[in-house]
This record gives sequence, C-alpha cells and structure tokens, in this order.
Amino acid sequence: MDSLFFVAKDGEEFTYSRLIHDLNSCTQVPHYCKLLKTYDIFKTILSSIVHGIDIVLLDSDFSELELKKLAIDLDKVNKYKNVSKKQIENKAELISLIKQARDWRVSLYTSGTTGIPKKITHRLDNLTRLARISEKHANDVWAYAYNPTHIAGIQVFFQSILNGNGMIDVFKLSSDDVMKRINGYNITNISATPTFYRMLLPLCSEYPSVRRITSGGESFDPHLSGHLEKAFPNAKLRNIYASTEAGSVLESNNDKFVITCPDQCKIVDNRLFIHMSLLGVDDATEGWYDTGDLVEVVDPEVQEFVFIGRDNELVNVGGLKANPLEIEQVLCLHPSISKARVWGKTNPVVGTILVAEVVTMNSCSEAELRAFLKENLQDYKIPRVISFVDNIDLTRSGKVKRI
Amino acid sequence: MIDRLLVMINTVRQNKGLTRLESIQPSDDLRRDLELDSLDLAELTVRIENESGIDIFEDGFVNSIGEILIKLGKRPNG
Repeated sequence: MDSLFFVAKDGEEFTYSRLIHDLNSCTQVPHYCKLLKTYDIFKTILSSIVHGIDIVLLDSDFSELELKKLAIDLDKVNKYKNVSKKQIENKAELISLIKQARDWRVSLYTSGTTGIPKKITHRLDNLTRLARISEKHANDVWAYAYNPTHIAGIQVFFQSILNGNGMIDVFKLSSDDVMKRINGYNITNISATPTFYRMLLPLCSEYPSVRRITSGGESFDPHLSGHLEKAFPNAKLRNIYASTEAGSVLESNNDKFVITCPDQCKIVDNRLFIHMSLLGVDDATEGWYDTGDLVEVVDPEVQEFVFIGRDNELVNVGGLKANPLEIEQVLCLHPSISKARVWGKTNPVVGTILVAEVVTMNSCSEAELRAFLKENLQDYKIPRVISFVDNIDLTRSGKVKRI
Repeated sequence: MIDRLLVMINTVRQNKGLTRLESIQPSDDLRRDLELDSLDLAELTVRIENESGIDIFEDGFVNSIGEILIKLGKRPNG
C-alpha cells in the first residue's frame, strides 16, 4: 500500500512512492539547502543522506546581509555536487539507509550570544536522542508545526520518517485549517510550541484521534494544559527541553523536570549545565556547557526543577531566538539612525515580543525603517513596536541597557 | 474606541504588507477576518496597552473585536 509521507500547506499530497521516485531520480545534491518548500527541503535532506554528503540547512528567508554574517557566499548556496542515481526499492529500504547513516552530518545556525549566529553540526544520534522508534508507532500521523530548517523541525522529521509515518503540515496555518487537518488526516501526534497551541484557542470540539501532544521551544504554559486536555481527551502531554546546541535533552509531563541522568545534566547555582558530550560534533568535548537557562529546584531530593528565565540576552519569540545585539547593529546600519536599543517585552500571546527605541540623526519614517529591516533581517527579528526617542539610556559601563 | 482600534489594527496590517481596512465590526474574528497571526496579535496587545494601560490577554484569550471592546470597557474610568 502506498502510504502518505507529507501533506504540504497547499494541500498537495506526497506519498512514500513519490518520495522514493524523486530520490531515485536525483543526480545533484547541494551542500547548502536554502529552499522555500518543505517537501523540497525534506527531499534534499534525504538525498544528502543516501548519497553520503553533509548538508547545511539555511532558512529560506535569510537575507543577503544575514548570509554574509554567516560567511556564506550567495554563489555557493546554489552549487550542486553531481551524484550517480540510486535505486531505492521501497520505504523499508529507505528507512534502513537513514538508520545506517551514522557519519552523515547536518549543520544549522543558532543565534550566537555575540550577535553572530553560530554554526552547530549534528550527527543523526543527537537528533534522535529522545525519538521513539518501534512497531507501536508504525501508524502515527504527525502534525508538522515547526520550521523544517530548525532543530525541532528536523527532530520531528526523523521521528516520523524512521517510523515510516506521514506528516501533515500545519505550520503557520489558521487554527480552523489546523483543526480540519487534524480531523481529516486522523492526526495522532502534535509537536509544537506553546505559542502554536495558544493560537488554536478556543478549542470548542474534541479531537479523539490525537494521542500525544508535545510542547517545546519555549517555557511550558501550565494554563494551556487544561484547554489541551479537554480538546484532546485521549492525548498524553509531554514537555521537552531542547536546544539547537544539544537537541532534546529532558522530557516531562508538566512544567517540572527531573534530572534522571546526572552524567548528562546538573544544576549549579540555579543554572542548568549539560554535558559537552551531548553537544554538536564540533563542541562535543569533556566538561560542562552552561545553557544560560536559570532554574529553581522545587524538590532537592529528586533534583526536580522548573525553568525561571534566561541569563543571557537572547529573546525567545514564539520559539525562535532573536539576538537584540544583532538587531541593534542592523538598525544602526540605516543612515538616519545613530543609536538603537532592542529588548524583549513579556507578552501573553508569544511569550516575549521584540520592541525597539531608536535615536535618529535626520528624519526617517517608521515605514522607511521597516522596509530597511525587512530587506536585511528575517521577519521574526524585526521589532514589532519601534519608538522614536531623543535619547537612549546607557548603563554605567556604557552599554545599552536592556530591561 | 472602535475607531482607535481600527487605527491600531491598520498599523499592524500595514506593517506586514496587508491593505488598510475601512471599518471593523464587533463580530470580526482577529485571526480569520482580520488575518492577524500570533506575532501580529502580540504587537496589537502592546499597542493597546501603550494607549490604554490594559493588557487585553491578561485573563484569557481574545478572539474578536467585540471581546477586545468588552475588556477595554472594564476600565473603571471609562
């Protein structure tokens, strides 16, 4: 039977036969993957695996300036390596090829703390650390609610394909369309950010097909649990703590986590450290990595803790991390701007929203400034509210003060 | 108040490249009818809070223009 591999945003259905046909026809594999359509990204990731070529995933909306900061030449992005055709027989063979790809590496970028994004390279075992792969999951159907070039999206992709499951794209769809797809395709698993779940509210009906709801990317929202349990009566809730640097590290069924492997995680002075061996291939060494996440231990006996905030300045906007420093630098590139301050303001819809203050040297409209930012930054990094002010407070050390 | 709200919604819509609306109705759904996504709603809450001091999402999710007007009407001094 030809089973479903992926349903795109526009409704186009891709079966495993179609996927295998496309993989078998492939004669070129890029080193950089900067593509718009999710199916094309999946196909490219799989081509790179079956042909044993490492791949770098780039967001489709990276601007030229952002690529320049990553030291990536635009010409290189569209370069391909010629490969000879493969003859994959069926889904089982494809899954087995993926499982054998122990040395294959994928790189992605995370918002670095200095304003320059950092490249992180992972092998398959890091991306599938908490994946559940067994016969029991053979009939799962996934709601695909992440960006496919980000760590969470890649993890859901592997969880799904290694079980031979189908994925239904619901990323950035309206809540009505998401609910229609859950019913229409009998979706069993949803993995998404709290912001995604909040945008589904109010949930007026029951969706019995869903058996597992996973939340990640942002702090778990305990207020959501009640709504989700009512709408998805057969679903178990799972909360995942993951990062681009390490992949998924901890899981729990509420907002509290327990350290079950003391050789992987530890808490020192209310900060969470993870062992370097869990990090991407370039960073995996001995010693401990400071996640910058601040925690509070609620039960010292079992090392149970909750997340209370972050120590560094990265702002989590609906699961995407933005670096205020990077945005301030881009604002100051505009000829009319002399000073800029960007910070995160707590918001009930997306957790945190980016706001900015700017000082101008000569007149400049907000629309003009927004057009400039749009050209140079990904959408989620553009401050949603920009105020024009006469002066910006500096801290005693002369740095821009972020509240 | 609905006129002020229309100005704010149009600012949010124009910032994302959507057309200006001539009018809004209490029954309009923020996401379906006015095409606002999560970040747009977040921006709208900041703009409303800056003007009125009221956080419209403070005690639960708001879905329509009418629900925003009710929240704003709760302000003791009108």
